[in-house]
Amino acid sequence: MKLKEVDRTAMQAWSPAQNHPIYLATGTSAQQLDATFSTNASLEIFELDLSDPSLDMKSCATFSSSHRYHKLIWGPYKMDSKGDVSGVLIAGGENGNIILYDPSKIIAGDKEVVIAQNDKHTGPVRALDVNIFQTNLVASGANESEIYIWDLNNFATPMTPGAKTQPPEDISCIAWNRQVQHILASASPSGRATVWDLRKNEPIIKVSDHSNRMHCSGLAWHPDIATQMVLASEDDRLPVIQMWDLRFASSPLRVLENHARGILAIAWSMADPELLLSCGKDAKILCSNPNTGEVLYELPTNTQWCFDIQWCPRNPAVLSAASFDGRISVYSIMGGSTDGLRQKQVDKLSSSFGNLDPFGTGQPLPPLQIPQQTAQHSIVLPLKKPPKWIRRPVGASFSFGGKLVTFENVRMPSHQGAEQQQQQHHVFISQVVTEKEFLSRSDQLQQAVQSQGFINYCQKKIDASQTEFEKNVWSFLKVNFEDDSRGKYLELLGYRKEDLGKKHIKEEKEESEFLPSSGGTFNISISGDIDGLITQALLTGNFESAVDLCLHDNRMADAIILAIAGGQELLARTQKKYFAKSQSKITRLITAVVMKNWKEIVESCDLKNWREALAAVLTYAKPDEFAALCDLLGTRLENEGDSLLQTQACLCYICAGNVEKLVACWTKAQDGSHPLSLQDLIEKVVILRKAVQLTQAMDTSTVGVLLAAKMSQYANLLAAQGSIAAALAFLPDNTNQPNIMQLRDRLCRAQGEPVAGHESPKIPYEKQQLPKGRPGPVVGHHQMPRVQTQQYYPHGENPPPPGFIMHGNVNPNAAGQLPTSPGHMHTQVPPYPQPQPYQPAQPYPFGTGGSAMYRPQQPIAPPTSNAYPNTPYISSASSYSGQSQLYAAQHQASSPTSSPATSFPPPPSSGASFQHGGPGAPPSSSAYALPPGTTGTLPAASELPASQRTENHSVQDQAPMLEGPQNGWNDPPALNRVPKKKKMPENFMPPVPITSPIMNPLGDPQSQMLQQQPSAPIPLSSQSSFPQPHLSGGQPFHGIQQPLGQTGMPPSFSKPNIEGAPGAPIGNTFQHVQSLPTKKITKKPIPDEHLILKTTFEDLIQRCLSSATDPQTRRKLDDASKRLEFLYDKLREQTLSPTITSGLHSIARSIETRNYSEGLTMHTHIVSTSNFSETSAFMPVLKVVLTQANKLGV
Amino acid sequence: MVSVINTVDTSHEDMIHDAQMDYYGTRLATCSSDRSVKIFDVRNGGQILIADLRGHEGPVWQVAWAHPMYGNILASCSYDRKVIIWREENGTWEKSHEHAGHDSSVNSVCWAPHDYGLILACGSSDGAISLLTYTGEGQWEVKKINNAHTIGCNAVSWAPAVVPGSLIDQPSGQKPNYIKRFASGGCDNLIKLWKEEEDGQWKEEQKLEAHSDWVRDVAWAPSIGLPTSTIASCSQDGRVFIWTCDDASGNTWSPKLLHKFNDVVWHVSWSITANILAVSGGDNKVHTHSPQLGGHGLLVFTPPTRELT
Repeated sequence: MKLKEVDRTAMQAWSPAQNHPIYLATGTSAQQLDATFSTNASLEIFELDLSDPSLDMKSCATFSSSHRYHKLIWGPYKMDSKGDVSGVLIAGGENGNIILYDPSKIIAGDKEVVIAQNDKHTGPVRALDVNIFQTNLVASGANESEIYIWDLNNFATPMTPGAKTQPPEDISCIAWNRQVQHILASASPSGRATVWDLRKNEPIIKVSDHSNRMHCSGLAWHPDIATQMVLASEDDRLPVIQMWDLRFASSPLRVLENHARGILAIAWSMADPELLLSCGKDAKILCSNPNTGEVLYELPTNTQWCFDIQWCPRNPAVLSAASFDGRISVYSIMGGSTDGLRQKQVDKLSSSFGNLDPFGTGQPLPPLQIPQQTAQHSIVLPLKKPPKWIRRPVGASFSFGGKLVTFENVRMPSHQGAEQQQQQHHVFISQVVTEKEFLSRSDQLQQAVQSQGFINYCQKKIDASQTEFEKNVWSFLKVNFEDDSRGKYLELLGYRKEDLGKKHIKEEKEESEFLPSSGGTFNISISGDIDGLITQALLTGNFESAVDLCLHDNRMADAIILAIAGGQELLARTQKKYFAKSQSKITRLITAVVMKNWKEIVESCDLKNWREALAAVLTYAKPDEFAALCDLLGTRLENEGDSLLQTQACLCYICAGNVEKLVACWTKAQDGSHPLSLQDLIEKVVILRKAVQLTQAMDTSTVGVLLAAKMSQYANLLAAQGSIAAALAFLPDNTNQPNIMQLRDRLCRAQGEPVAGHESPKIPYEKQQLPKGRPGPVVGHHQMPRVQTQQYYPHGENPPPPGFIMHGNVNPNAAGQLPTSPGHMHTQVPPYPQPQPYQPAQPYPFGTGGSAMYRPQQPIAPPTSNAYPNTPYISSASSYSGQSQLYAAQHQASSPTSSPATSFPPPPSSGASFQHGGPGAPPSSSAYALPPGTTGTLPAASELPASQRTENHSVQDQAPMLEGPQNGWNDPPALNRVPKKKKMPENFMPPVPITSPIMNPLGDPQSQMLQQQPSAPIPLSSQSSFPQPHLSGGQPFHGIQQPLGQTGMPPSFSKPNIEGAPGAPIGNTFQHVQSLPTKKITKKPIPDEHLILKTTFEDLIQRCLSSATDPQTRRKLDDASKRLEFLYDKLREQTLSPTITSGLHSIARSIETRNYSEGLTMHTHIVSTSNFSETSAFMPVLKVVLTQANKLGV
Repeated sequence: MVSVINTVDTSHEDMIHDAQMDYYGTRLATCSSDRSVKIFDVRNGGQILIADLRGHEGPVWQVAWAHPMYGNILASCSYDRKVIIWREENGTWEKSHEHAGHDSSVNSVCWAPHDYGLILACGSSDGAISLLTYTGEGQWEVKKINNAHTIGCNAVSWAPAVVPGSLIDQPSGQKPNYIKRFASGGCDNLIKLWKEEEDGQWKEEQKLEAHSDWVRDVAWAPSIGLPTSTIASCSQDGRVFIWTCDDASGNTWSPKLLHKFNDVVWHVSWSITANILAVSGGDNKVHTHSPQLGGHGLLVFTPPTRELT
């Protein structure tokens, strides 16, 4: 295919291969005239610009020369690899002169372009060649057998290769050997070729077929084989190309007879030894394989002869041919179509003169073939044989899984011609691993996940942390797996609870010195001053007025104290008033703490105080709002903070367990595209996800978009390093995101899963049908089947902790703390049929049978608390024990008629315990108020000093909140839905069996409750929430009390919960320990006048125990004994109203006289006349004891 | 670290010119100057010849696997000016379509991202690039870009499917508005970027000039979620360039010389995660290349063949 053409009658020389861009130099041809008959000569340089589709060549420079040329070559002499210097143009002139031009100067337009000139030769210099090994050596040939070797470094004095051959003849061709640098060949029209050895300085062989008809017009050495050369004959009688091998120099190795007339020029491709160009007087340009003689290509040319032909050294597919019609054409031998785009400016000058006979041969030239557009669509076929330069010999391609496919076509050292057999045709598949550290870290992470060794893993990470921030992050993550996570978070933030506690104890001691002795007398003043008015109000029971008076008088402490006695509503109002008045610096904090308005802190704190804000949230926030608050704080840090604070947001997200936001924040702050930094992120994410699974029991199966993207990126990286299995392990498998599904499919198959037959059904793509389609198995929509089934933690095993959810429902407004009615709770229960709040915390099953459930709880067992991350907002041993005590008390109180479960765990055989402690133990119950039964399993609780259980009363009003869960766990559906073989968390607390005997006869407790409390108003105070016991009294009271005892837990119980007994998540969920900061750790003695109560009751229980044989009864009694501690605590605090204490003394007296029925009557009286919230913690228990004593007759 | 895990004796009777694994890395397709295309099952280090495909009348230069969502489809291109699309049906590989629209050797075939449908780009020594789009029922629509590269196109490579303005795949269901692009390299020393216009015509969008000799191969890096587009190119001039484009319009490309070899570089191939570039020159070296870090290391990969000999 013709690429370019130039209308010049000229010799041509391509720029050397090193040169870029490609130039073509033309020098006006001697012995030829163009149509102008001008004898002017010029040297021109054109650029071959293949990006220009036109046929014109871009002329770069024209130099008017005084010489016309027989030969023009362009040598790379002094050319550096950069191509800055464009070599040297060497021209052979008409008069024995050789001229060296500097092409760079020609291009630059300099006038002085001649480097050197020498006219030592005789006659026209027709032969020139540059030694390719020493580019400063140029051989030239002229008449009289003259051959000179020129050293461009010393141009003045040429050398000769040896003595001139005789007889003298013209030298028409000269060529340096392509393999051996000191070998030179020359040829003459007489038909002889001579090979010279410059080391010997003589001809070493003469090549001739002795036919005398070879008129050598061309000579070329084989590019690869040192001993082979071709000679072309100009003679029309012998238009052949002879292939000679000097090892058999007696006759040509091969003779190519493809031309019909004499051959004018040949050119052997340096890029492919199988391509030899020849042009002849038959007007053909042929490309033949000199090794076989086969014609591979015939260039579509015009009918003109070409007298010169050259391969472009740089672009192996390009050649140029100079024809006698005064044109130089540039062709590609790769074929292709010449389409209409190719146009050329018609040489107006030559066309104006028409067809002449410029050579005076008597034969007029054929008309100039001006390209016609209509003829341009001919298709030119390429070479029959693909040229070597497009045969790709090597290749390395990546494929999925970090595999690299390579092949090579290496020729074994072998005899020529036999290489086909010697070639190896192997393909190698290799595994490429470039990220060893990445892989090893990924491996460690996987091991940690498999072995559950999270704490160790985090610790290692902490130890290896390079930066403080990194250390913090890992410390925070680690805390997730430890008990008392919130407390430890606080420590990490720089707040040690113990420190505070110590300080507080000190103060306490100091205070106690000032306590007025309770025994002294005092004066009740009813004077008209404020004191008097207050006194009057108090005496009339008008708390509200008293509080107002105190407030008015700025007696805040008095006001608050009185408000406490006046009930929750009053207290709340009073608090508000107090805060409105108080203006101290920490008022807002106190306000937030008391009003539980953590959002306020988080939203409006100075971001510099983010640690403090986080600490407050950690201390106080309820589980349902905890995450949201941490989130909120993190978001603020991220959005409003500077870059440093932004990164700290990560810590908030870790506390919140918000994986998605952590990913987002981390990604923003770090460059996540590098494998190791992605590894950094994934480590944290995986650990955090595990933590969330263990602790919050959230449905971690949901994978956010961002996380999914990161995880799949991570899996991709792993896969790219060949760790297909690891990639599969890390790939989130519970998402419908198509890219992840596709990656999973790809990984599975890459692992070598057998591909059944031809098609696999699992491809997550919509298949398309191809032509010829018998409906293949490919067709149809194939969904990934695995997506739904392969969850690490199927929902059934890892349900959302109902407790949390319930809690959220129960306390819609965080600040209000409004207790919800039992009815309300009931309605909430059903939606969470699989409430196993502990499940997530303890993914490892320790038993499948029912017996496992009854495994006694270790009350202080660290594992429990560990497993329950949310547990204590502030966990303290003391609070914990207090709580359990309270539970015990409640238990007794609420189930007076049931057999007391003193020794927990109940045997599996017991129907009651089975029901509650069954594997399907309703989560809600556990999540909330710890079922009373739990306390029974906490023997340690009773042993704890009562003093540690102080200050529980302040939260009394929250009791109703406990109702819900308790009903919930009685909810039969819930029980049914949990299969027995579900894993039971170690820390699972079987609900108290006590209620069951009573509840069972009643049928569905839920419905009953609903019936009884149809309107289910949300009582503001505990009193109002328990109207029925009072109304019904007596028998009905007995019947109902059970549910009430459960549902409307006395206010005092809520406090214990707050403290978060280990394994009592309920407590945790409820614990906003209002009193915590001021919690008293010291224990006061029971006032002497009330000591009798304790001794009497304890004595009675002992007596009962000694005569009771039924284990269930004993258990109940044990339990009662513990729960009565609550009463004793109240006595210590002297918080019981006089009517109650006096009533209790009456009961004690009746016990002394063993008149239990009288005691029971007294008991009923107390209950019906007193504030339920005051007595509910212990009165039911007391009733149990009395009833038992009556029954046993002790 | 490169370790050979499988050696496949292809039994080709002449030079191998390409070897490509399928989407899953379980099947290997090879092609050779012996005019054949072979498919091997190479799972678990084995080699089972699945098919020996005959149909080309000249050396077969390249093979390309289509995405499996379209079935098991392999395209091959040859010096015989033809492109053949092979398809496995009921366990048997057969010629499914033959494209004879080029006037010279077809040097490169590349399937478009599967999101676009079944589209094959073919680069030929006739200077043209043709695009075959499967339109259903056995029909292929052909679009041709003439004079894409004077005296020959050596390589074509599609840009990954990225929706403009979003880094994350859009939810399935709605068809994203992809902008289709591919790169080509040719004997005019140029890399050209082509973009499909709204009218469905292909238009030259960019000309990337840095090489001083034939561009032997171009490889558009897989998308790794970054806004940067990356192309690797290698040339007869021994140079390997990494081209990057950071701007959204895709107009500003800057070259960075990765390495200059002493010999022609034939082939470049990105790893799936675009962090390693395999460079095949005379000495078969594998380069690690981290666009993010701006540097690269040289990982010398000793050609196994030489070890064996």
